[in-house]
Amino acid sequence: MSDNEALDVEDYAQAGSGASLTFPIQCSALRKNGFVVIKGFPCKIVDMSTSKTGKHGHAKVNITAIDIFTGKKYEEICPSTHNIDVPNVSRKEYTVMDVQDGYLSLLDAGGEVKEDLALPEDDIGKEITQMLKEGKEPLVSVISALGKEGVVSVKVSNN
Amino acid sequence: MSTNTTTTNATPELAKESVFFQSNHEDLKNRPKVRGYDFNEGVDFSKLFETYKTIGYQASAVGEAIDEINRMISWRLVDEPLKEGEDDDEERKVTRCKIFLGYTSNLVSSGVREIIRYLVQHSMVDVIVSTAGGVEEDFIKCLAPTYMGEFHLEGEKLRRKGLNRIGNLLVPNDNYCKFEDWIMPILDQMVEEQKTKGTVWTPSRVINRLGKEINHEDSIYYWAWKNDIPVYSPALTDGSIGDMMYFHSYNTPGLVLDIISDIRAINNHAVYSKKSGMIILGGGVIKHHICNANLFRNGADYSVFVNTGNEFDGSDSGARPDEAVSWGKIKLDAKPVKVYSEASIVFPILVAETFAKTFKKKSPEELKLNKRSIFD
Repeated sequence: MSDNEALDVEDYAQAGSGASLTFPIQCSALRKNGFVVIKGFPCKIVDMSTSKTGKHGHAKVNITAIDIFTGKKYEEICPSTHNIDVPNVSRKEYTVMDVQDGYLSLLDAGGEVKEDLALPEDDIGKEITQMLKEGKEPLVSVISALGKEGVVSVKVSNN
Repeated sequence: MSTNTTTTNATPELAKESVFFQSNHEDLKNRPKVRGYDFNEGVDFSKLFETYKTIGYQASAVGEAIDEINRMISWRLVDEPLKEGEDDDEERKVTRCKIFLGYTSNLVSSGVREIIRYLVQHSMVDVIVSTAGGVEEDFIKCLAPTYMGEFHLEGEKLRRKGLNRIGNLLVPNDNYCKFEDWIMPILDQMVEEQKTKGTVWTPSRVINRLGKEINHEDSIYYWAWKNDIPVYSPALTDGSIGDMMYFHSYNTPGLVLDIISDIRAINNHAVYSKKSGMIILGGGVIKHHICNANLFRNGADYSVFVNTGNEFDGSDSGARPDEAVSWGKIKLDAKPVKVYSEASIVFPILVAETFAKTFKKKSPEELKLNKRSIFD
């Protein structure tokens, strides 16, 4: 999950209610490590190249991106003048207090409790369980995009 | 001829014997005499080209090629003795030689395209083989023109200006953008038909559909579609069409091209023809594909190759027709001709002296004679 840890998310503080899930930009404005919606999934761009106008027709942008939640790889090609959707992505840190019935008990910096996020089934989930067992305090990064939320990384809280 | 026989008595016998072998006139009895055209007879191209056969070198090859093509055109099954079990019916009078025409991409970029279109428009050839460029350049010309340039124009400068060079011709990038805009929705449709109707797409069926869609009388493939002339192109993805298919596969994956159905179809064209002729302009895939199909009928009856290839590298492109005889691609008793020339010079002359000269307007039924359905 090292790719996800590197997510350079800008602070979309107001990306909650009212903000649209995506915004369009011209393909040529996409950048590596940025986000893009491919086949309906929010993805992070891991590789990109452009081919200029030529025998193959209009200039194109070739994108390789991975789903920020599942890590699945996608490839896409689009004309550089066309618009493509970019997801509004927000990241928030929570302290894990407990795991109950497969759901995380989370506490944000402002002291608000959040209990609607499932314990991930992957290695991150195991790490959280292990830390709790050892009496450590896991600190998780939760990303939300396209109406979905997911834990993308965990570390031990320094507090 | 005997102007040098001013021998003096001093000539030593030995030298005389070494230099002057006695020639035998019997050896030359049936050989035509070398003689070119006399322009005192006026500028008459037809007469001029008739003398080509006795000019020598490649002019005589052109003259022989004209004769060979005329033999292809004039042959009718009725000329052959009746075989056992064959009926002497009307069909024998209209069954003619199946003519395979092959040409490379550069010729379609050039004005030879118009000559080819004429042949296809009037259903004068029966089976075509070309390469991807030979297909797309024709469609692109219906969307935007190709321009005259110069051989020496610098690649770097042209690239910066968005111009692509084909010899001394120029194609702007914009032409390919127009081609992309035209072909993408058609590819969408093809995928749709493949999914909903189970259409098996082959290169020849794709070209047939594109010919229908372009709906333009300048196009070779518009007429090929109209006259049921199949166009085979086993390397169809090796060109701008392939670039489009590559991009298209990202947006709408799933289009499948079946080259096996096509190889079966072209080979059967050769197998089931009563007589077969090949006119091949250039080399590579288009040359071998036609010759190889004719292998299945123990060789073509008539052959004309026009190309600049040489045989010393062992390439099929440069091979003389005699190499094809060894493979069974040309019949043992055929009189194949190879013209060592660039086709843009020679092909217009060949057509002028053959197809165009004997042109008779065909009825709608006659246009479709000798054809096999493309979608069977």
